[in-house]
Amino acid sequence: MSDARDAGRVAPSDPQRAGAQLLRTVVGAERRRVAGAAAGSIVHQACEALVPVMIGVVIDRAVAPGDGGALALWLVVLAALFVVLTVAYRVQLGVGMLAREQSEHALRMRLTRRILDPAGIVAGGPLAPADTVGSAGALVNVAGSDARETAQGIQGVVVAIGAVAALTISAVALLTISLPLGLLILLGTPPVVIALALIARPLERRSAVQQARAAEAASVASDLVRGIRVLKGIGAEPAAAARYRRASQTAKRATLRAAVSDNVLEGANVVIGGAFLALVAYVGGRLALDGSITIGDLVAAVGLTQFLLGPLQRIGWALGLLAQARGSAGRAATVLAVPPAVHGGTAALPATAAGALSVRGLSLGHGNGVSFEAAAGEQLGIVAPDPSDAARLLDLLARRRDPDAGGFAVDGIDVPALPVADAHRLLLVADHHADLFEGSVEQNLTAAVSNEDRLSAARRRAVLAASGADEAVAALPDGAATTVGERGARLSGGQRQRIALARALAADPPVLVLHDPTTAVDAATEARIADGVTALRHDRTTIVVATSPALLATCERVLLLEDGRIAEVGRHEELADASPRYREAVLR
Amino acid sequence: MSVRELLPTASPRAARRELWALARAHRGLALLTVVALVGAAAIGLVVPPLLGRLIDIVIDGGDSGELTAPAVLLAAAALAQGLLTGAGGALTARLGETILAVLRERVVERALSIPVAQLERAGTGDLLSRVSGDVAVVSQAVTLVFPAIARAGLTVGLTVVGLVVLDWRLALAALLAAPIQVLGLRWYLRSVVPIYRREREVQGERTQQLLDTVSGAATSRAFGLGDAREEHVRASSQEAVDVAMLGVAKVKRFLHALNGAELLGLSAVLVTGFALVDADAITVGTATAGALYFHRAFDPIGELLMFFDDLQEATTALARLIGVASIDPPAEPERPAIAGDGSVAVDAVHHGYVDGHPVLHGVDLRIGDGERVALIGTTGAGKTTLAKLIAGIHPPTRGDVRIGGARLEDLGPAGARRTVNLVTQEVHVFAGRLADDLRLARPDADDDALWAALERVDADGWVRSLPDGLQTIVGEGGHRLTPTQSQHLALARLVLRDPPVVLLDEATAEAGSAGARLLEDAAERALAGRTALVVAHRLTQAAAADRIVVLDAGRVVEQGAHDELLARGGSYARLWGAWSASRISAPADGRRRASSRPR
Repeated sequence: MSDARDAGRVAPSDPQRAGAQLLRTVVGAERRRVAGAAAGSIVHQACEALVPVMIGVVIDRAVAPGDGGALALWLVVLAALFVVLTVAYRVQLGVGMLAREQSEHALRMRLTRRILDPAGIVAGGPLAPADTVGSAGALVNVAGSDARETAQGIQGVVVAIGAVAALTISAVALLTISLPLGLLILLGTPPVVIALALIARPLERRSAVQQARAAEAASVASDLVRGIRVLKGIGAEPAAAARYRRASQTAKRATLRAAVSDNVLEGANVVIGGAFLALVAYVGGRLALDGSITIGDLVAAVGLTQFLLGPLQRIGWALGLLAQARGSAGRAATVLAVPPAVHGGTAALPATAAGALSVRGLSLGHGNGVSFEAAAGEQLGIVAPDPSDAARLLDLLARRRDPDAGGFAVDGIDVPALPVADAHRLLLVADHHADLFEGSVEQNLTAAVSNEDRLSAARRRAVLAASGADEAVAALPDGAATTVGERGARLSGGQRQRIALARALAADPPVLVLHDPTTAVDAATEARIADGVTALRHDRTTIVVATSPALLATCERVLLLEDGRIAEVGRHEELADASPRYREAVLR
Repeated sequence: MSVRELLPTASPRAARRELWALARAHRGLALLTVVALVGAAAIGLVVPPLLGRLIDIVIDGGDSGELTAPAVLLAAAALAQGLLTGAGGALTARLGETILAVLRERVVERALSIPVAQLERAGTGDLLSRVSGDVAVVSQAVTLVFPAIARAGLTVGLTVVGLVVLDWRLALAALLAAPIQVLGLRWYLRSVVPIYRREREVQGERTQQLLDTVSGAATSRAFGLGDAREEHVRASSQEAVDVAMLGVAKVKRFLHALNGAELLGLSAVLVTGFALVDADAITVGTATAGALYFHRAFDPIGELLMFFDDLQEATTALARLIGVASIDPPAEPERPAIAGDGSVAVDAVHHGYVDGHPVLHGVDLRIGDGERVALIGTTGAGKTTLAKLIAGIHPPTRGDVRIGGARLEDLGPAGARRTVNLVTQEVHVFAGRLADDLRLARPDADDDALWAALERVDADGWVRSLPDGLQTIVGEGGHRLTPTQSQHLALARLVLRDPPVVLLDEATAEAGSAGARLLEDAAERALAGRTALVVAHRLTQAAAADRIVVLDAGRVVEQGAHDELLARGGSYARLWGAWSASRISAPADGRRRASSRPR
């Protein structure tokens, strides 16, 4: 087990390399469509390159000699060229975009599955548990925009292939027209490209800084919006707006600096391209005067030189797109490679379970380890004065963390040896922080009820009554059909808590662990819930981790968990009488 | 999926008007930008005639020395055009970014001022996709799309001028392409704009689904809801793919129209050139220059029309931004009233969120300056609603809320923000330095003031133990705080904010039972010297208050001190009975016990 965990912790040493690898996988998975789009791009670019050649031919063969027949003939050829050109473009665009959209979708789903994986996400690190305050946004960004930008790498590949094809075809055409002119352009092009690249490199760095600043401003804005209710509560909206204004101004300054650099590059592009054109025109003109080339050849050469600048710029653009895609793919790869929080086994889930829980020497990180038994059908209370002890025990039972030492079993079946998803079906931990999902109350209630054993009307009533959710539902405008809003935000805390409890009861697991299920309800309701849960689960094993006397009083036994071990055992009344530490923890 | 009431989107006209108003503020810069861009495009125009001149020299069999002049002029034109292109681009970016910064800052400011009720109907996802996604789209447009369109547009426009100067008949031939382009573009705009609008909405929904899924991942795992959540994400992501491909299908048809126009125009120019050369009206060089002119305009025209794509996307995003930017901020009264003290008066307040479902029925409540009142009652009795009404988060359907004798409306939003604060169980740690999180409550607070506030709520211990103390990066992407620590921070913010009236709505509940105690102590210290209304479930917290108000089904049914209410034997006594029965040996006088509790 520890071997597996160590292996799991081998995170990608180099996100850059992992990114490049993921990008290759993404492009590779769509290789047929990418190939189709690239073929379209090649043909399209070839046709574009041939248009100036055709202009030269028409001038040479028809306009200069005044040959009407030749004009008609070459115009038909020109029309045919355009038909091929437009069809090729259609293929490039349609197939290419489909490849991009599909792979974006596929990567997003892969990320979503990883995030939802029952094995969880290991604690610590920048992409750690989604259940900790504040990490959700980062994961949403990866599954949202990074998936998109990674997929844009496909566009980069297609455009780059097309541009290289255009350059090759222009080169061949030019060499055919005139060897010296072709060589001038072919040998002249690399220095132009290198010069532009040299100018571009420091500028790209600046542009990266600008992007980072802009992203910072954007994340400040999203963060403030996510905390908007908290801001409004303390009337800090103006202070928050001022904070965004500072981030926005920083982003603006960075953008302006980058804009200066970008436009120096843009200007250099124009100067170099124009100077090159002047040179080709001059040399071509002399060759034409010599009679080494025709007028049409000169026109074609000049047209091709003008055309060449396009593919050259597109190669730069495509490389930029690929660099961006690699960066995004790096972040996506990091998420995909995050080690699982736990490692499940392959043991089979029994068909039926009585629910006898046995915990043996389970280490809470300090102390000798926790050992206790809960008989099938027993209701057992656990009081942990130190909240971190309770949290650790629940993490272990909920299979969010592998035990360092010891283990636990239900009906003799080692729970950590089960596949993680199956473990939850045998032993369900209903957390204090239970999220509801957008949808109706009813949808939330039945979310965890499998289709085979749909919630019968009688059982549904019993569950609602036991959790006190019946009153909560009755108070809602549309009853159980009321939508709860994102994360249940339209409900009050007490309504949310009771519906979450009802959901756990409806799931009806052999062993149910409830953590502080009644902190947001009033005392009378709490008492009713305590009795209701006891009655509803009289033949099922229920562990209540809480410090509420109302809940503990209905338990058959209560354990006091202290210093990483079980310190006391007894009925609530006995412990309340005999143990000062228990009293301090519970009766306040 | 629930039906959302999305935030407003500006109409195209309103968006244009707003943009124009923003640009007018930078008239000088705008003028300079136009001059540079027009200059660059105009200089580009000399290239085809110079090439034509070169060709004519060759055809006339001139001297090779004659070639020097046009070649040098070509190089000089390149230099000048390069300089002006660079300057024009930089100026465009400056103009655009300056305007955009103003706009995005206003968007965030207005976004933060949107009433909670409206925000809840729209979903935070809608607002999030506007402040991040839409701002990014518009930024991209301002730095890349807009300059490209300006350049391409001017090149195309001036090419027409150049053709007219060269020979009006060639220009006329080239214009044959225009009707196809114009009709094509109109069709495209009509059929694609709605798709882009839809695309952004679908993407907002997708973000919402991802947010829901990621933040509820732990619950999904426990309950085996992973497949269902995955299905939600898949459905919204697939819809985004489908809508995007619908857009691509339209673009493909548009492309054919563009290529058709190119073919028609080029053929027309060539045929006209042929005829004119045949009639000796123009030279071969001029005919060539005409064809080259038109060919040079291919890319800019394509760019222009294809960038309409991005321009439309940007316009849609812009309309959504301006929609938020145009939300009127809650008006400040001309002469805001001043709260005389921290007393609270609630008079005959009725409230309901949905018609026909009243939550509060004529609540009357007086809280004296500095008094601590506990609000209790069964869940759903309307406690949270009452707290929200007093905090001014919702205006009551009927009735008045006064703070220090002044009605909330008369205090105005700014006055109300200074006077009354609400802390609920919802926690959020703002990303960045912990000190900056606290300074949201009081921007001018120095470090000593921050430490004092942390000490006041007994949070200085754990803050000191953080890796970088107050400078520790917390929140998203930073050091993770536990829910209890996060709420502790919220109470420290409250101390810094220092309002005379405080409402705590189950602010200590979510931390779990053990954390709740710690927070109750912290809350007690934070509330010292303030008027406070505390919505509490733990009755010990209620018993410690000066007065207890029992709310039932939207009405105040009992109020008084703990002992009075116990003596009265009403609903509070029954609640207390249920509470203390479960706590067996808890002393009857909870109040004394709670206040003498060792810190």
